[in-house]
Amino acid sequence: MRSPLRGRAARALAALALVFAALLPGAAVPAAAADPVVLTVGTTQDLDSSNPFNTALVSGYEVFQMTYDLLVEFDKDTHPAPGFADSWVRSPDKVTFHIRDGMQFSDGTPATSKDVCFSWGLAMDAIKNGANIGYGYLDPNVKDAGVTKIECPDASTFVAYTTDQSDRIFQVYMPILPQHVWSKYNYKTIADQKFDGPLVGTGPYTLVEWKTGQFTRFVRNPHYWGNKGFADNVVIRFFPDQTDVMVQALKSGELDYAHDVNPDQFKALAADKAYTAVAGKANGWSQLAFNTYGTGTGKTIKDGGPSTQALLDPAFRDALGYAVDHKALVERVLGGYGDPGTTIVPPILSDWHVEPDHPRSFSIDVAKQKLDAAGYPLDSTGKRLDKQGKPIVLRLVHPNSNDSYAKSAQFVKEWYGQLGIDVNVQSLDSDTLTNLILPPPDGKAKYDIELWGWSGNPDPNGLTIVFRCDQIDNLSDSQYCNPDYDKLYDENSKESGQQRHDTLAKMQNLIYDQAPYDVLYYDSNLDVYRNDRFAGWQNMPADGTPFFTYSDLNYTLLTDATIQPSPAPTVSAPAGASAAPSAEPQTSSTGGSGSNTTPLLILAALVVVVVIGGLLWSRRRRTASVEDE
Amino acid sequence: MSARYFLRKLAQAIVTVIAIVLLNFVLFRMMPGSPERATKNPHLTPEFVAAERAKWGLDKPLFPDQLVAFVESTATGDLGYSIKYRGQPVTGVVMGAAGPTVLLIGLGEALAIVIGLWLGARSGWRRGGVMDRIGNAFSLIFYSMPYFVIGMPLIIIFAAGLGWFPTSGMTTPGDKTPVAAVIDLGRHLVLPLTAVTLGLVGAYSILMRSSIIETRSEDYITTARAKGLPDARILRSHAFPNALLPMVTLIAINLGYVVAGAITAEIVFNWPGLGLLTVQALDARDYPLLQGIFLLIGVSVVFANFAADIVYGYLDPRVRV
Repeated sequence: MRSPLRGRAARALAALALVFAALLPGAAVPAAAADPVVLTVGTTQDLDSSNPFNTALVSGYEVFQMTYDLLVEFDKDTHPAPGFADSWVRSPDKVTFHIRDGMQFSDGTPATSKDVCFSWGLAMDAIKNGANIGYGYLDPNVKDAGVTKIECPDASTFVAYTTDQSDRIFQVYMPILPQHVWSKYNYKTIADQKFDGPLVGTGPYTLVEWKTGQFTRFVRNPHYWGNKGFADNVVIRFFPDQTDVMVQALKSGELDYAHDVNPDQFKALAADKAYTAVAGKANGWSQLAFNTYGTGTGKTIKDGGPSTQALLDPAFRDALGYAVDHKALVERVLGGYGDPGTTIVPPILSDWHVEPDHPRSFSIDVAKQKLDAAGYPLDSTGKRLDKQGKPIVLRLVHPNSNDSYAKSAQFVKEWYGQLGIDVNVQSLDSDTLTNLILPPPDGKAKYDIELWGWSGNPDPNGLTIVFRCDQIDNLSDSQYCNPDYDKLYDENSKESGQQRHDTLAKMQNLIYDQAPYDVLYYDSNLDVYRNDRFAGWQNMPADGTPFFTYSDLNYTLLTDATIQPSPAPTVSAPAGASAAPSAEPQTSSTGGSGSNTTPLLILAALVVVVVIGGLLWSRRRRTASVEDE
Repeated sequence: MSARYFLRKLAQAIVTVIAIVLLNFVLFRMMPGSPERATKNPHLTPEFVAAERAKWGLDKPLFPDQLVAFVESTATGDLGYSIKYRGQPVTGVVMGAAGPTVLLIGLGEALAIVIGLWLGARSGWRRGGVMDRIGNAFSLIFYSMPYFVIGMPLIIIFAAGLGWFPTSGMTTPGDKTPVAAVIDLGRHLVLPLTAVTLGLVGAYSILMRSSIIETRSEDYITTARAKGLPDARILRSHAFPNALLPMVTLIAINLGYVVAGAITAEIVFNWPGLGLLTVQALDARDYPLLQGIFLLIGVSVVFANFAADIVYGYLDPRVRV
């Protein structure tokens, strides 16, 4: 008698094989020709907020600039280009902007100067009241451009009064919000609002959905005034702490673009003709920011602040600077994709960057000597003591958005360890870290070293502003306060040409010598994109990357890769990297290479073999058990 | 099974749950900065935060005021507001993540149980046979592999390599028809489910195998053989049900941990379940959320064990108190 158990097993297997086959892409519901074209972008930095005033992250800027235009945008060389305003005229005391005629928001409402007066008005109100909007990352742009008054004489004209002759008035990161949606909020309440989709804006794609920790989804703005990009929808997916998962998704075709891959993955993908790998020189750096809270003010934080007074001593910080081998970090953490760090204006801003007058070199021995000379001796157990006689133990915090932070932290821990200074490393998510470093009244600034990075504007003020006294509890992650520095900063804002260059040189040297930061490296952005679905990729600037840069212009420039003359045939990369199979039936073109059917046949054959084998096996057993009876 | 047995087990379960709630309270209050951190939620307005402080009694002494407030809130399902999830209620966030975990791990457990029991029974019954050797090897190998070691090759071969399945996530972003949504979910489910099932099957098959081997040497099996019953029938009707008894305990314990989620599996596949949520909450020092997850896992395990006790009492007539 046949064992029901075995028969059931064979049938179960067959059923499983059927389900399996149904789920394979080849047998899936065929894609209609009218399916929207989706551009999927991956990044390792999780979005913190869709409210433009509550984001401190590059991801946040990338997200809000999809929906909202700036008054003036950037072109591919980061020069001013038409945005919400399509032209402007500069006078000694003001700039007059012309708002594009016939422009509409994504809901069809006319977009006029009153929307600019509303949006910039929020910043003006905040500045007037000595406050910030939300995290205070956007309104300083208006203040830094020296705007004293704004006016909207008619629907097509916006006037900003400023005597500042620099380009900063064209680099103001204030999103132009629709007044008819947000008018009932002021500079205090706008930061509390949830900017949930669907949003209304004049940008190329508007936010419709944000699944926290997963993705944001945007749909094309039917009334957009600019280029009509090939993509109908854009999805930005987040992979915090999961660079490998992100790269797998790129290889399988689920992502078209991956931002911030690690150097090993970058090298592997660069060798494969199916991808384009771009090492964009970053306008920014990664740094060790020392918590110098109390410098110049003598204030302390109860149950918070730096764990030792040594951090407030420039001699101590300077000595530590000799214990970090910046060249080694570039080679071993960045895989060579970057430059050793020195001053606070990155080399990419070649007009303004200077090398320090008194550079530090890497030498653990010199570091030890300098620590001894500064009054920080070793005790009998080999631990470095501060001037209060306590062993120095430093808490280092870094975000989970990039492998390089964790790796660099390990190097720093090792080097400082040789000096007798223990380092405790902690990885946090970016949003949490942003809040951790805030001093009273918003937080307790309970950290000693913050290992993170900054991305700047085309104008160096975007980065040098971070060290101002008034940026404590705002942009500052070193809590540094030096009135001399603030004076130099104000001077540099009014200057241009050689004069400004000299003042900036003084500022860079001051910060280098005082060392509230140890600039580790100017790390390149390592981005990779596929060549098979989208074309028309453009970098911004020329030695930068297409996305996660100053504006979202490049999203609108993409075209259909399949209607271009096809590139050289895909060369199989050396074992390890896989060829690019496009399995997603989403484009309306005749996608799907022939390579998909072979594995299907193999699988089908396997299933058949297993099922037949199972049946034969059970037949044999049956014969045997009959004999038993 | 007597009513007294049932009630006794129920009482034990309730007492354990109370202990968990109390431990939850104490544990998270003991952590540095914990209650203040909950109120320093940057995603809540100051007025709202003040109301929360009043409700949780954070300005009042720990015993009895805060404890009473905590127990009251927990009983009504109010577990506070998440920091990572921008002021959303913890209950909502946790329940939202529980669904995907129960789907993945629950299905994985079910498949692992069915396959594992069958494999173990086959292996143990014909001890030393081909099936036993293959089955044992298979079980041991996969049992010792962490989920991510099973999962990554699956992704590399089937997702990134052959492109049959998505590499990660639970759904493809975008609007879909119901049918397309189900197929999309199915496609995303295959690889993680395979990884989880393979990882779990070993435990069941190995235990079942030794249980069957033990049962084989029992007297009633010899009697059945002597009566001339076919081999397969002896396995099915006599050995299998008796060997199943120790498995009930294992299954119950494991099912309790279904809600904990297989953290490494969910991370590798970016599956938005409770495992991934736990990691994200840890990264964000989101104490209210961690508290909520801890509570859910604790209660689930207690409940699963209670169910196991009842089922065991039902199956095994020797357990009669």
